[in-house]
Amino acid sequence: MKPRWRKVFLDLIENKARTLLVVLSIAVGVFSIGVIAGAYAIISNDMSASYAANHPANIELRMADFNDDVLTSVRNMPGIGNAEGRRVFSIRVHPLNSTTWTVIDLVALNDFPTNKVDLLTPLAGNTNPAKRQVVLEKDALKQLNVRVGDQLVFELPDGTTQTMPVVGAVEDPTTGAGDFLAPPFGYISMTTLENFQEPDLYNRVYATVAQGQDDAAAISKVAGDVKDRLVRSGIPVDRTLTSKTHEHPLASTVNAILGILMALGVLIVFLSSSLIANTLNALLNQHLRYIGVMKLVGGRNRQIFIMYLTLIVSFGALALLIAVPLGGQGAYGLAAFIANELRFNLLGYRIVPIALVIQILIGVLVPLVAGLVPVMNGSKVTVLKAISGDLARAEGKSHHRGPKHESRWEKFQTNVTLALSKRGIHIPRPLLISLRNTFRRRGRLLLTLFTLTMGGAIFISVFNVRVTLHDYIGAIGNYFKADVELDFTQPYRTHEIQQLALQIPGVQSVEGWQGLSADMLRPDGSTIDSLNIIAPPAQSPLVQPILVSGRWIQPGDERKLAISESALSDFPNLKAGDFMPLKINGRKEQWQVVGIFQFVGQEGILAYAPLEYISQVNDLANQAVLFRIETTQHDRASQDKMAETLDHYFRAKGFDVLQSQAGLASLDTASQSLDTLVTFLLIMALLTATVGSMGLAGTMGMNVLERTREIGIMRAIGAVDSIIMQTVIAEGMVIGLISFGLAIILSFPFTYLLSYIVSLAVFQTPIQTVFTFTGYLIWLALILVLSVVASILPARSAARLTIREVLAYE
Amino acid sequence: MPTVPAPTIELKNVTKIYSTEAGDFTALKGIDLRVDQGEFLGIVGKSGAGKSTLLNMITGVDHLTSGEVIVRGNGEDTSVHKLNEDALALWRGQTLGIIFQSFQLLPMLTLIENVMMPIDLCGRYQARLSRQRATELLTLVELEDHANKLPAYISGGQQQRVAIARALANDPPILVADEPTGSLDSVTADHIFDVFEHLVQERGKTIVMVTHDNSLGPRFTRHVQIADGVLTEMTEPAERIKRPASAKAKVRRTK
Repeated sequence: MKPRWRKVFLDLIENKARTLLVVLSIAVGVFSIGVIAGAYAIISNDMSASYAANHPANIELRMADFNDDVLTSVRNMPGIGNAEGRRVFSIRVHPLNSTTWTVIDLVALNDFPTNKVDLLTPLAGNTNPAKRQVVLEKDALKQLNVRVGDQLVFELPDGTTQTMPVVGAVEDPTTGAGDFLAPPFGYISMTTLENFQEPDLYNRVYATVAQGQDDAAAISKVAGDVKDRLVRSGIPVDRTLTSKTHEHPLASTVNAILGILMALGVLIVFLSSSLIANTLNALLNQHLRYIGVMKLVGGRNRQIFIMYLTLIVSFGALALLIAVPLGGQGAYGLAAFIANELRFNLLGYRIVPIALVIQILIGVLVPLVAGLVPVMNGSKVTVLKAISGDLARAEGKSHHRGPKHESRWEKFQTNVTLALSKRGIHIPRPLLISLRNTFRRRGRLLLTLFTLTMGGAIFISVFNVRVTLHDYIGAIGNYFKADVELDFTQPYRTHEIQQLALQIPGVQSVEGWQGLSADMLRPDGSTIDSLNIIAPPAQSPLVQPILVSGRWIQPGDERKLAISESALSDFPNLKAGDFMPLKINGRKEQWQVVGIFQFVGQEGILAYAPLEYISQVNDLANQAVLFRIETTQHDRASQDKMAETLDHYFRAKGFDVLQSQAGLASLDTASQSLDTLVTFLLIMALLTATVGSMGLAGTMGMNVLERTREIGIMRAIGAVDSIIMQTVIAEGMVIGLISFGLAIILSFPFTYLLSYIVSLAVFQTPIQTVFTFTGYLIWLALILVLSVVASILPARSAARLTIREVLAYE
Repeated sequence: MPTVPAPTIELKNVTKIYSTEAGDFTALKGIDLRVDQGEFLGIVGKSGAGKSTLLNMITGVDHLTSGEVIVRGNGEDTSVHKLNEDALALWRGQTLGIIFQSFQLLPMLTLIENVMMPIDLCGRYQARLSRQRATELLTLVELEDHANKLPAYISGGQQQRVAIARALANDPPILVADEPTGSLDSVTADHIFDVFEHLVQERGKTIVMVTHDNSLGPRFTRHVQIADGVLTEMTEPAERIKRPASAKAKVRRTK
């Protein structure tokens, strides 16, 4: 090996701590980008591919009970490819060895082996259940904590129970794919329906279209036509859901979230590049004398430039060796986690070529770009400057002999110290040294502050975004203020239910609500989307809407509704006062939108209309299906207990209870799924904080190394180990605290930006940003700890140096 | 009339002025100097007299304010002050060997690699010959047994001999030494002088050496005094001291 390449190699292994710092700085960025780019590619491909592989229904019709004749007529309708009928109903269940009830949706199929739409993927056991046998979806197995072969106890409408074995496990990536809050699923054959006291009839159609399976408009057109025909035949359709074959219903949400993570990944690369620039600058400064020597013995700029460029590329190559395999694993891990949360399958572990290319480009280019200026300056340095070791001159300042003049900053520091001492405030000398040392290498300080500040600002912002999201979910709770939601399978007289419920201690008030299903129409009369109209009493205190425009519903309103903001995706120009064509019970009507409100919903569009009018439309005066109950206690545990009590009470009295659940149940589920998102954001924030602290550790290491001689002098005049350590650690803490101050300022725009992007991705609407002290306090504690930890190692090395060593230091 | 051979190094009215906050400082005041081929010239002066500045003018390490520096080596005349940094580096590598008081070896490279470095950078010899040449040079300074050691593990005198071997790597006609014995004890320094004299007398090298030690004057073939940027005194080449032949032929091993 030629001496110059041997020097490059030895530079690489000579100072292992420095090499490790540079390699890890590059590796953090490469790893982050690798994880996110890989996960992005895997999810974008596998999410839709695995969804399409299970032949998802393009149209799902939720409707009144129907038989095989109706199903046959649907199959024969124009535009329909395949169609299957199923019966889906909610039921409470618990494992034989437990008494905790869980609500699941049971899906009854006609013939498992010939299943053509919304295919089930067999996982274990017998996936073609016979009579009185149940197959569970894998999430249901997990939630109920049972295995194939265990017994389940189901609660029937009459209050009796049925025990059935779990004979198999399947995966169902399509049913309820658009709703990550969907309940777990179980599957039975149609012949088992009678054991659940359910009629041998279907209530859902799952159909594919013959053509245009990825054309939303074509699918919507066929769905509208089918629904029209069914309604004309006297079969009411409650809801129509449509989706494309090769696009998972949640693809856009997931991609938006991955986009945010990608932006953070790019930021980490950016931060790590400033750390690399800092370290390479210091390395070149340390090597200035060597560069001078090489130039003295004939080395030209280009040769020196190429030597150090090779060194940088070697750092990048080492970083790639670490980050590429880890990034690949991380990418698949992240993809698998998201796939598990959203119930879709991955097509297997693999290296994603595009992620690999991006990683290699970043691993090589980022250090090259970050190191280009220091290397160019270093290779161009004149022999005189290099040999003299005068770093100030090496950085391009003019060469002066004789006394230098104080800079303004130096004068300012001296004046501040003097002014303080005149007022009797004497800063201890070691602290004074720390404070002045902090500002000696201002270029390095700025880069370190930049990385630490960005890390801190993002960290703090993530906490603010978390609170913002929860605050919004809490605000959405204003639509669900009831403590218990008691739903029946048929209407009952409101007064009767109220009287009975009020006999239970703790129940304060009971409201009866109704609902109505409608279709939103285009001007040409075709269906755009279904609309779920909820009808509480107009003055109900249990709904406190967040109005975006217009007003809330009033008792005298007829053919008037308040609609959720999500309708704007179908009607971008919609405003309060506009009329909207709806189809209700087969009739086309013009309804006026009196107000638009904010709401988070994963399935369909929601509207509110007054019970006073809807009960006329439904012809159900003084009756209700849905009852909202207020109790004296509002915590989740009390709500759960009351829901259980009410359930038993009404079943015992012979009422057909569909479900009774705590008002906070659905909100808590929504909060939990948001926490998953926040966890990802927090991981990214921690990575940025890691880069920041590595930057600080590197800076402190470089500062100490450059000041070895000064430390020797301090020791020679009596500084003991603890004083030397305190001086270094105090400097680290000063840098940490300055970055904290800057992070506080930056966290405000960051929080607004991040919560805007996240809320658009998750809720499809911007939400009000909320701030919390939590992030600020945690970051303050963290930055102080990080500063101390990052300074301890350099401080220990400094304190260990003997006077002889430092005076021999060259 | 016999023609006077052109000097190897010629300085004509060289002035160097440093601008300082306190005003201009003239380090060299119109220096005229000739160094002939095969001379061992000593430039003697106290600290701050301008001797290192003068050396920096010859090597092109620093730029002169006015005047001319011409070096004749490898069959070419070079106006050093007219070359840019990059051209200077290559020229220095091929024409000059430079030796410092603090040795300036690259600490991460072994002795033989340090000697091979100038050959590698200037491409004067084929790569496969460079190790052979470096070994020959280490043999010349009697350090071939230590070829694969790092500089930190040999003595100061040995390091300086490696620096001399490195200075000779590209077989330059001129050696320039800045206080090469300044950090060595008197016995070791004496041995280094033996090496220099050997190079002048046996290999025909031209050596310019700077020192603050007045007592070393007699060891040079000629020496000049410098004080406050002015050459004040010169001794004639006739005063060249004679050394025993054995000392010229053999470079003694130092500790």
